Amino acid sequence: MRTRRIVSLLARLPGVGEKTAQRYLLFLATADPAIARDLGLELAQLSEHVRPCERCGNLAETENAGVGAICEICSDAKRDASLLCVVGRVHDLIAIERSGAMRGRYFVLGRLLSPLEGVGPEDLPIGALVDRIREDGVTEIILATPPSVDGEATALLLKRDLAELGVRMSRIASGVPHGGDLEFADPITMGRAFFGRQNM
Amino acid sequence: MHALVAQTLQVRALRNLSAVDLEPGPRFNVISGDNGHGKTSLLEALYLVATTRSFRTSKLGELAPTGAPGATTSVRARIDDGISVHEQSVGLLGARRSVKFDGVRPAKLAQYASATPVVVFSPSELGLSMGPGSERRKLLDRVALYSGLGALEASESFSRASRERQRALETRGISARDLPQWEALIVQHGLGLMHARAASAERLAAAATAAFEGIAAPGLSAAFVYAPSAPTGAEAYLRALESMRTRDLARGSASVGPHRDDLAVTLGQIAARHVASQGQHRAIVLSLKIAEIDVVSRARQARPILLLDDVSSELDRSRTSALFALLGEQEGQVFLTTTRPELLDADWRGHASSATRRDFVIEGGVIRAR
Repeated sequence: MRTRRIVSLLARLPGVGEKTAQRYLLFLATADPAIARDLGLELAQLSEHVRPCERCGNLAETENAGVGAICEICSDAKRDASLLCVVGRVHDLIAIERSGAMRGRYFVLGRLLSPLEGVGPEDLPIGALVDRIREDGVTEIILATPPSVDGEATALLLKRDLAELGVRMSRIASGVPHGGDLEFADPITMGRAFFGRQNM
Repeated sequence: MHALVAQTLQVRALRNLSAVDLEPGPRFNVISGDNGHGKTSLLEALYLVATTRSFRTSKLGELAPTGAPGATTSVRARIDDGISVHEQSVGLLGARRSVKFDGVRPAKLAQYASATPVVVFSPSELGLSMGPGSERRKLLDRVALYSGLGALEASESFSRASRERQRALETRGISARDLPQWEALIVQHGLGLMHARAASAERLAAAATAAFEGIAAPGLSAAFVYAPSAPTGAEAYLRALESMRTRDLARGSASVGPHRDDLAVTLGQIAARHVASQGQHRAIVLSLKIAEIDVVSRARQARPILLLDDVSSELDRSRTSALFALLGEQEGQVFLTTTRPELLDADWRGHASSATRRDFVIEGGVIRAR
């Protein structure tokens, strides 16, 4: 059955359950047919034209299938090539970009250190990161892995492994959220906020 | 001091309780019924909606309804905390747990779990004095949670880092390159947890020592002291982990650390485990529970909800009477289960007026007013 197949495909998307998938199908089947057709065409070509950036792992678009893709950030000459921000996932890169606080470039690890999930130090792209640092003449690295146990361990490992390169390294601060109440901050976050306080 | 009061309790598909709607009274609620009819499950439901956990098991999957797998377990309660009334709910489907506070998912589980302090006293609590350290560690962590000492976050991070280290040891051996990172994080969060437990133990110890004097034979005194397993200095703790990798690999977990902490109980300077009689063990347990109520009440400026599961079967007559005397004096909502309400009536006399008591009978998972 065609409809059932489409529903089960849609339900594989993150955050989409059986009911939502059903709603999507009903919409696509009854609304303007152009919507379904355009969506289908785009999706069919997605893997050819949208791929991980060869340099940083961010999503990159390319018109020529088969040729390596470079993302907008890596090809932007106005970006400071000597400043590199290391993140765990593309989602984190997008969140940092939204803040407008980062004027350098990125390196996406794609995973965090976690033996429980089968990720050891050898499974992290540390060699590619070192190459990138050397090739681009990076002088400062910002470790922006998440403030979770796995994210912290990854940052600590990178700190040790990259130490011999002699570049400046910093870790993003963790603190109390903007617009939040101090009383609801957990003690670990509050402790970090105090430890990472700044002069004013 | 005001008291936390559950105004309504709605239970769906939890163990043998298919649908229970209860409107408890603000003081004593006596639930009677034969064994296996759902008395303890009702207390468990209340505990679950207040804390997101069960006091009977660490596996929430066991709360699934008997005979109807796949059904969603849900518990909802309207709680008056003395300042305002709010609604808490917990839903369980398989291993998934969803919690809502006034209809909204809380940002942090600790925020939800500490909102409505509950103190439970069930037969298994006798392990507090006679059993292994796990029950006493849980007591320290509960008190830390309700006192806002932040043990929950530290405990979760500590246990994650510990499991990561153990897996690294198992898969790549004692020279695995990432062990120093996991060990650094174990120490960081382990020390945070130990700090919270030390503060929690200090508060409990004073109250429990005082309570013991009131219960036990004259001249006998008990002391309660936090006994951390790991060194309390970061450097020493880190060195201990590093030097014990081979042993930890063999035994399947770290040889030292907060997961092996204890609250040492001594009677006249000798470990209670070795010298205490059955009666003394019961007095120790009762003292710790009274201390827990006291410390949580003071930390929150509110009386916690008390869940007493068949206590008269475990405590002897005079201690049950001492407990009821105390409960009669204190404010607060109490839920009591018993197989023999008539025995309870005798203990009750003189401690609480019948006007403050509401009686329920539970039979085959169905509850009605007595």
